[in-house]
Amino acid sequence: MHQTEQEHLIDMINQIAVNNISLGDDSVVADMIAGHVKKFWPRRMKVILNDYVINEGGEHLHPAALLASKKLSKEG
Amino acid sequence: MLQYYDPNKADPSKDYGTPASLSEKLVTLEIDGVETCVPEGTSVMRAAALVDINIPKLCATDNLEAYGSCRLCAVQIEGRRGTPASCTTPAEQGMKIWTQNEKLAKLRRNIMELYISDHPLDCLTCPANGDCELQDMAGAVGLREVRYGFEGENHLDAPKDTSNPYFTFDASKCIVCSRCVRACEEVQGTFALTIDGRGFDSKVAAGQNESFLDSECVSCGACVQACPTATLSENSIIDLGQPEHSVVTTCAYCGVGCSFRAEMKGDQLVRMVPDKGGDANHGHSCVKGRFAFGYATHNDRIKTPMIRDSIDQPWKEVGWEEAISFAASRLKNIQAEHGRESIGGITSSRCTNEETYLVQKLIRAAFGNNNTDTCARVCHSPTGYGLKQTLGESAGTQTFDSIMKSDCVLVIGANPTDAHPVFGSMMRRRLREGASLIVADPREIDLLKTPHLGDSAHLPLRPGSNVAMVNALSHVVITEGLEDTDFIAKRCESDAYAKWRAFISEPRNSPEAVEEITGVSAAAVREAARTFAKAPNSAIYYGLGVTEHSQGSTMVMGIANLALATGNIGRDGVGVNPLRGQNNVQGSCDMGSFPHELPGYQHVSDPIARGRFEAAWGVSLDDEPGLRIPNMFDAAIAGQFRALYVQGEDIAQSDPNTQHVEAALKALDCLIVQDIFLNETAKFAHVLLPGSSFLEKNGTFTNAERRINRVRKVMPAVAGKEDWEVTVDLANALGYPMSYNHPSEIMDEIASLAPSFAGVSYEKLDKHGSLQWPCNDQFPDGSPIMHMESFPMPEGKGHFAITEFVPTTERANRKFPLLLTTGRILSQYNVGAQTRRTENQAWHDEDILELHPHDAEERGISDGDWLGITSRAGHTVLRARVSVRMQPGVVYTTFHHPGSGANVITTNNSDWATNCPEYKVTAVQVEKVSQPSEWQKDFVANHHRQNKFLAEASAVAASDE
Repeated sequence: MHQTEQEHLIDMINQIAVNNISLGDDSVVADMIAGHVKKFWPRRMKVILNDYVINEGGEHLHPAALLASKKLSKEG
Repeated sequence: MLQYYDPNKADPSKDYGTPASLSEKLVTLEIDGVETCVPEGTSVMRAAALVDINIPKLCATDNLEAYGSCRLCAVQIEGRRGTPASCTTPAEQGMKIWTQNEKLAKLRRNIMELYISDHPLDCLTCPANGDCELQDMAGAVGLREVRYGFEGENHLDAPKDTSNPYFTFDASKCIVCSRCVRACEEVQGTFALTIDGRGFDSKVAAGQNESFLDSECVSCGACVQACPTATLSENSIIDLGQPEHSVVTTCAYCGVGCSFRAEMKGDQLVRMVPDKGGDANHGHSCVKGRFAFGYATHNDRIKTPMIRDSIDQPWKEVGWEEAISFAASRLKNIQAEHGRESIGGITSSRCTNEETYLVQKLIRAAFGNNNTDTCARVCHSPTGYGLKQTLGESAGTQTFDSIMKSDCVLVIGANPTDAHPVFGSMMRRRLREGASLIVADPREIDLLKTPHLGDSAHLPLRPGSNVAMVNALSHVVITEGLEDTDFIAKRCESDAYAKWRAFISEPRNSPEAVEEITGVSAAAVREAARTFAKAPNSAIYYGLGVTEHSQGSTMVMGIANLALATGNIGRDGVGVNPLRGQNNVQGSCDMGSFPHELPGYQHVSDPIARGRFEAAWGVSLDDEPGLRIPNMFDAAIAGQFRALYVQGEDIAQSDPNTQHVEAALKALDCLIVQDIFLNETAKFAHVLLPGSSFLEKNGTFTNAERRINRVRKVMPAVAGKEDWEVTVDLANALGYPMSYNHPSEIMDEIASLAPSFAGVSYEKLDKHGSLQWPCNDQFPDGSPIMHMESFPMPEGKGHFAITEFVPTTERANRKFPLLLTTGRILSQYNVGAQTRRTENQAWHDEDILELHPHDAEERGISDGDWLGITSRAGHTVLRARVSVRMQPGVVYTTFHHPGSGANVITTNNSDWATNCPEYKVTAVQVEKVSQPSEWQKDFVANHHRQNKFLAEASAVAASDE
């Protein structure tokens, strides 16, 4: 049952993606996710997410969540 | 001519005999030569009382309908025969009335003589001495003798019922005026009391002639309040005598926020009496607020600050200064070593607005980060998110009174008669008047058993299927053309509506398509949707059964969508009404407890808002959100988060997945707990700062209807400091200066920084009694109903949100075939730290697992068996109760007792938007066992160990003296 912090964050962002899947295509969903993460996630969680995408490719992320993470790193 | 036409301006300390009439038509009449003008429908008794002509009365009181049984209030009316009862006679245009003359005096004396002939004459030793209407009336009518004597048949030896821990029923003193029976029916709505027998044999009976405790009586105190004699007396009055002064304050239990008169003898609280002038409760109460205040003076109160280096050591009692400087130096050292973001704090939804504001200010300004959160995280954070997205403001839209104009009441995932009892009573009153009721809940809640309930429907949905249900309701509204097109066109954003309309109309959202998911027949859902949409005024009330899910935020938005689509926003009788759990959950959110928002819901990244706080507080503030509670736990386990200041919250008991929480707390280098008791969290603490109860401080609470109410100090703080003073000391010790002389100065600071509080001050609160925010230049007297003209959204328009149904990952399977859902019970409050230390234990001294007879039979379980409950997260043991309130496949428990370990089995699953834990759905297996779980054994061992550490601290301190 125990999750690492990174595993928990992957679950959390994927959950945001699937709950907003009907907003439009992946890019629209990714905008929503990026906005949400920006507004509600603390710096520490954003860093862990970014490290995961940069260093490990973000393979367990939902496609829209991966896109959102990339948008966030670009802005970052 | 004297005029009276505003029923709200009545003096709450006076009993006008009958309720106010709300008619706008006035009639003029003359009483004892005084001309007066009253609303049509006002009784002659009330019309007289309003001009201070006080007609004798016994069976009449102004929170009950007129009854006309005692006849003491007889009057003479010009042109009418006889002596009609003034309580049941409506005032009419041109009436001429005499309330006192020789004939009436004789009549009244005769009536009193009969009463007194069967009443004990022990007035001097009677508990009601000094507060007895019977005695007052004997005096008022000039009773001087009882010609009948006292020897005949009488009730003087009638037995006492002392079964209720808080009040005594002494039948020998009863005058059978029926006020208690009527209060139980009209005010409380339980119908537990009746008059049994006829004529001389008439007597008040509880239930089916049971004791009060064994009957369905809920101990709300309405009968005690209504009794004009000593028949129903508080035991505290019997023990202590009548109070000598009183102070109006606000209850510290649930989110209803009832006003009470704390009745005192010196600094001793004798009783709490619901205040008739209270705008949230109008003189009603429940067993918690009315009676369960003994915890405040319980021996377990922490009275001295304490410190220790490690949680395996005994506590050391120290002075305030030493404790504060110990805490401050630890915090500073940890930050120096691990960085600015390595510490944080949790504000309390039980503390005042002013205290909550100060804690988040301490964190943002003195800690220099935004690592602040509050227990709203685990209850109503999805309300904040969902309502902000759709309606533009993170708050319920109505007053409680609004329900009295509702025609259809939809209750989702809430159990008001247990969790918000005083509002539950008001809801029942409206249901008796004929409003229809729809309940969407896995359990058959008591509201569905309201006596004299009219139309009602129960949609017994499966835990976790809320969003599918609300989507289906909206689907019916839209596809059957039941939407309010005018409202949508005028008040809602058109693009978002078009998208939502297309989404919700999809066949996958139809009641037929989701029948498999919700378990509720499509026909029942269609009927409910039609009832809701067609009623002139429909209102939605919801609780934690909506928010505490992985889709809590989606569900809140789904509720707002339904209200918008049917035009049920912006007037009396309608609205979206979150029923808040704790007394100040609304306030703690308003005060900027969340890591992303400054007070008044202003985002930390907003440079203008942040700039104003920076200027006022004299520091620069972080523009990134801080850690939420679950993120703090994760970061603590990862070794990155090292210190936490917790004011008045018990995260170790209340938060899900206890093992995870305990691991996080054990990982901290410094845990500072400020509480009135050694709660479960304090067992992991290094610094224990004594908290003050609501009776020991000044401040304000904000209830579920955004009502800001004053909390007034009635006794000194046991450890010498109110909670806000402790936070001030800690800030100063950390080198961030704070200086306030009184909480009113903190409120002035809040008003200067949070736009929706701009018009709030203690002076104005004292003048108005209470204020509902927003209260500012635009709404100087506050805002009872929100969104009347527009929404605080772009272009003032409401926003329809797409609400995709996503099933929770927490599903039943062969290994965990049952779904556990959790809830509350009337007599206990939240983690139980307060109510477990009162006589409320008489009703609920352990948490029980309720399960359906079918599930019980399959497992060979009978009532009272010990059951092992296992989930993916953990294992605990509770006793069984077989109950048809449950559906097959669903089991239920409460979490009021720490040793139950209800949260040992709840999981880390949480709401997608806010991380609010999914307490309401846990897949479990249940089996008969013979001993407690390993966690429970450890819990008991640690409980004894930590209590020993506490006892040792007192012993050391005593030997030092």
